Amino acid sequence: MYQFNYHKPATLDEATALYKEADDPIYLSGGQTLIPTMKQRLAAPTDVIDLAGIDGLSGITVSGGVVQIGAFTRHAQVAESEAVRSAIPALADLAGQIGDGQVRNRGTMGGSVANSDPAADYPAAVVGLGATVHTDQRDIAGDDFFKDLFETALQPAEIITSIDFPVPTRAAYQKFPNPASRYAVVGVLIADFDGTIRVGVTGAGPCAFRACSIEDVLNENLDPDALDGVEVPDAGFNNDLHASAEYRAHLVKIMAKRAVVQLG
Amino acid sequence: MEQSGEFRIGSSREEVWRALNDPVVLAKCIDGCQSMEKLADDEFTAIVKAKIGPVSATFKASLKLTDLNPPESYSLNADVKGGPAGFGKGVADVTLIEDGDATVLRYGVSASVGGKLAQIGSRFIDAAARKMANDFFSAFQGELDPESVETAVDTVSADAGQSPPTAPAGQWKIWAVVFVALVIAFVLTI
Repeated sequence: MYQFNYHKPATLDEATALYKEADDPIYLSGGQTLIPTMKQRLAAPTDVIDLAGIDGLSGITVSGGVVQIGAFTRHAQVAESEAVRSAIPALADLAGQIGDGQVRNRGTMGGSVANSDPAADYPAAVVGLGATVHTDQRDIAGDDFFKDLFETALQPAEIITSIDFPVPTRAAYQKFPNPASRYAVVGVLIADFDGTIRVGVTGAGPCAFRACSIEDVLNENLDPDALDGVEVPDAGFNNDLHASAEYRAHLVKIMAKRAVVQLG
Repeated sequence: MEQSGEFRIGSSREEVWRALNDPVVLAKCIDGCQSMEKLADDEFTAIVKAKIGPVSATFKASLKLTDLNPPESYSLNADVKGGPAGFGKGVADVTLIEDGDATVLRYGVSASVGGKLAQIGSRFIDAAARKMANDFFSAFQGELDPESVETAVDTVSADAGQSPPTAPAGQWKIWAVVFVALVIAFVLTI
């Protein structure tokens, strides 16, 4: 690890002010991506701004058909939350499938969503449930949040404060995990809002996206077999030693079918 | 590793040519390009600070042109060093095809990479290469003709290339830039 200045601000304003003054700053949340990267000397920020000291970024509330989760809430807290389990069980399931115990105990929802790793789990829920991402400056619709590989709608100094997930009638998340990292080779979240289906996909492309062709079919006929004839084009899909683009396109369909079965 | 792709740009040859000979334009089109220096007609070096997700590293690339066949094709040999992040070597074969008022650039890259980035994971080689090349070409097209950005068509497996026929003396610049971006993307695999 290279040398850097460590800051632990107590407020959002202080954090963004530090960010704007520093030469090459970075925010630290759960650190499950950033710290390993820095230890490998693959990143050398001049200033690390730890968000752990800021009050009010953590916690889960359910009201008015919305589950609001603070950005600093750990994956394990979401997975174990009774409130999340009863309102959106699929979201708790998803959180419980992230990485391993250490990652779930340290990693945060805001960190995962802001990083926008193409194989991260939460983005499938942000897109699939039509969430709203609250930042210190504005609200961003889940559909507009993920832009490209590790690229989001966030501006450089902007900090996610919480995410609102509308409570669906029912939802299911199915992923094909990499056996070593548990990252999603492909993950599909299907949500049913009073008969309107939303489908969020992660792992397949450079960032999470809605699978409109699958939504169209399921809105007509919510049956796993209805997906047999759906074409999932693999153009632009990830292609690496774990899975080819063509295989990922196939997995999108399979995970979607499993999720429909799970919906019940 | 191997990758290929093609890119079409809708601008006229003259416009493209002018842009290609404008170092200011080229430097603008590479995100993080810190310097580009011409050593000889067929040789140059570039320093690029590349950032993908949590990883950021500064790369120094040396490029040399071979098999020059002016308006049609050519090969680029690159040697990229990224300090602790990694290193790469590769060859790009580039072919230009005229298509009405536009030009299609087709390329094939064969590269080998090493070092920490290559070791830690090759999860994003393809996606990173595609993103860097697409970013470059859309920036380039935006510089050329801000109204025609939508003509950037992504095909085959990777990104897109755009380029100018005729004008042999200056063409190497854009191919070199494209190739630097590709090789860096290969090295930068996270």
